[in-house]
Amino acid sequence: MVHSPAQFPVKIEFQFMSEAIVSTPPPPIIEVDELSKHSRTFHRREGIWGGLQNLFYREYKTVAAVDRVSFTINRGEMVGYIGPNGAGKSTSIKMLTGILVPTSGKALVNGYIPYKQRRQYVRTIGVVFGQRTQLWWDIAVIESFKLLRRIYDVSQRDFDARMEQFNHVLGISDFLYTPVRKLSLGERMRCDLAAALLHNPPLLFLDEPTIGLDVVAKHHIREFLRTVNREYQTTVLLTTHDLDDIEELCKRILIIDHGKVLFDGPLEVLKSRLLRTKHIKFAVKQQIDSDTLRLFAGDGVSVDQVDEVTFRLRFDRTKVSGADLIRKLLAEHDVRDLLIEDEPIEEIIKRIYAGEASLVAD
Amino acid sequence: MSLRNIGVVYRKELKDSLRDRRTVISMVVVPILLFPALTMGMGYLGAKMMTEAKQEVPEVMVVGGNDSPRLMEALKSNKKINAVPASDDYIAQISNKKVRAAVIIPANFDAAAERGEGKTIVIDYYEGEVKSQLAEKTIEDSLTDYREKLARQLVAARGVPGQLAKPFETDDENVAPPEKVAGSSLGGLIPYFVIILALTGAMYPAMDLTAGEKERGTMETILTSPVARTDLVLGKFFMVLTASMATAILSLSSMGVSFLFAKNTLDRLLSDEAHGVHFSIDPSAVLAVFVMILPLSVLFSAVLLAIALFAKSFREAQTYLSPLTIIVIMPAIIALLPGIELNSRTALIPILSTTLVCKELVGGSHPWGFITLIFFASCLYASIAIGVAVSLFNRESVLFRA
Repeated sequence: MVHSPAQFPVKIEFQFMSEAIVSTPPPPIIEVDELSKHSRTFHRREGIWGGLQNLFYREYKTVAAVDRVSFTINRGEMVGYIGPNGAGKSTSIKMLTGILVPTSGKALVNGYIPYKQRRQYVRTIGVVFGQRTQLWWDIAVIESFKLLRRIYDVSQRDFDARMEQFNHVLGISDFLYTPVRKLSLGERMRCDLAAALLHNPPLLFLDEPTIGLDVVAKHHIREFLRTVNREYQTTVLLTTHDLDDIEELCKRILIIDHGKVLFDGPLEVLKSRLLRTKHIKFAVKQQIDSDTLRLFAGDGVSVDQVDEVTFRLRFDRTKVSGADLIRKLLAEHDVRDLLIEDEPIEEIIKRIYAGEASLVAD
Repeated sequence: MSLRNIGVVYRKELKDSLRDRRTVISMVVVPILLFPALTMGMGYLGAKMMTEAKQEVPEVMVVGGNDSPRLMEALKSNKKINAVPASDDYIAQISNKKVRAAVIIPANFDAAAERGEGKTIVIDYYEGEVKSQLAEKTIEDSLTDYREKLARQLVAARGVPGQLAKPFETDDENVAPPEKVAGSSLGGLIPYFVIILALTGAMYPAMDLTAGEKERGTMETILTSPVARTDLVLGKFFMVLTASMATAILSLSSMGVSFLFAKNTLDRLLSDEAHGVHFSIDPSAVLAVFVMILPLSVLFSAVLLAIALFAKSFREAQTYLSPLTIIVIMPAIIALLPGIELNSRTALIPILSTTLVCKELVGGSHPWGFITLIFFASCLYASIAIGVAVSLFNRESVLFRA
């Protein structure tokens, strides 16, 4: 919804009200309303006879890859779009980048309807598909950049300036003259990011940008994305399976599965709502009989041994008080070190995907 | 549609393809090497076989004739055949290529011939086997000579001048221009090879630019650029066409060069000019063949692109496209069959018409009506195919087939 100031009754006596009007937030950069994409797949029969039957008679069924998804994203946000394989992430991204036409629903991105005004629209976005490259396989990276410069009508001056900048931040000058197929995955990803940002788009779609990269390369990419987001207010929507990406980059996450949005909100909210289990990791001074620790196990608490003197207690914080547990532990054992940990985010997401965790607020 | 964007896509695909070894091999190396290899290899082998066959003194079995010493003498004195006594299984021996032919002489032949009774000598040979056919020809020549000699003797014995036995002579003379001779023997073959190469040259890039791109996952990324899909498919189409034309041009030029070499080699090998093949093709005929094959190249490029676009992977594309080779070869082969001629009906069948008209062009005749008709008909088919390719490219269900 876009409110124009005229719709508000501006009253001079309420000074704070007019201020509120002045600071009305700009319209969201992405508005998605009830967006759906159905695809028709045919049911494949098994065996040789089934294979022959498939040739002549096919039973089709319609699958909703994306099912009435709605969300908005504001300028400057960095949003993680996560979900298990086949959840509908890539289909959503393809609709938002104008490659696919939605079956129903609306999408307005950067003021354009992606699939209707595709050619004007894509000049305002950058897209990186982690598992693919938009650089041309057999030709040197710089040639791809030059071609993209022509395709996106970037002036030579802007191009030179941006190349210099990318060299500085991404360190791509070393392999500009190497054919893409000879680059390592990390080098290629850096070049792909540079290619996607060559025309300085205010919005960046990243589909699994860190997939297959080593720790150092991941760190480089994340650092670069943070810089772009901070310095240019570039809005970023990224899909990922790497939850470190989310923890390091995104304040907000959207969880999608079976084509539906399961959660939309800050990472902290997800954690506070779903962090049921906490861990107490502790070390004792002398080796103890692990049987004595069994006493702790019971409703909502489990114990496992990490090494000879280190143990981990997992407890359900809805059933057991962490403070009580620690008090009991310190009273009964000679504890040398103690650490309270949250459940790793992977575990939470795993539970969501498995359908165990309810995301509906209590 | 933007010419500039088509150009950008085209240049990109061209650069990409030229750095790909497989494209270069199918586009450049194959046509340049194939023709010399084919003409030199086949020409050399053929010439060698002919020479060998002609140098061989064929073994010929003579069945009967013990009561006809004069005929036997005539056969045995011929140094070009080796007459041996017949065994009972002479037919099997001919079939097994142990002997080349057999002469069956009726009983009392000499006596009957002197009386002018007109008995028949049968020559058994193996049709389709070059050496057997040559033997048959030699025997027949030898017998014809003997018949003439005998006739002259018989006539002379009756007090009539010998020449009356052979009151006139015949001679033949070829008036067809040399290129026409070449046209009939090679005219069908040349366009046939060029057409096949125009297809195979386009095949690899057509698969690489569509299914290959889908497989590598670069299709999505190019689709997120502000290049319209129509521009994209046309850019790709021009690249495929370039490959097809390059293959055709290179094969035509390579053909010209290798024929020049082959001519010299064959001339040396074949001293007998009656069996020598006349290689003389007018350069303007080569140009004309090129012009006629151009719309066919366009047709191939568009059809290949449209079909390959359906495939999800390179391998799937190969499965779809290999039957196409046979579909293209068939009309080209039909055009080589005797009796298939250019008429208003065959002129409308793509590929067949081009092969037929090229045969005429290489043969030195210019049926302008058909040339125009075939050129424009091919152009029409080609533009329909381009239209189909463009519309397929704009269909999500084809681009992202599940």
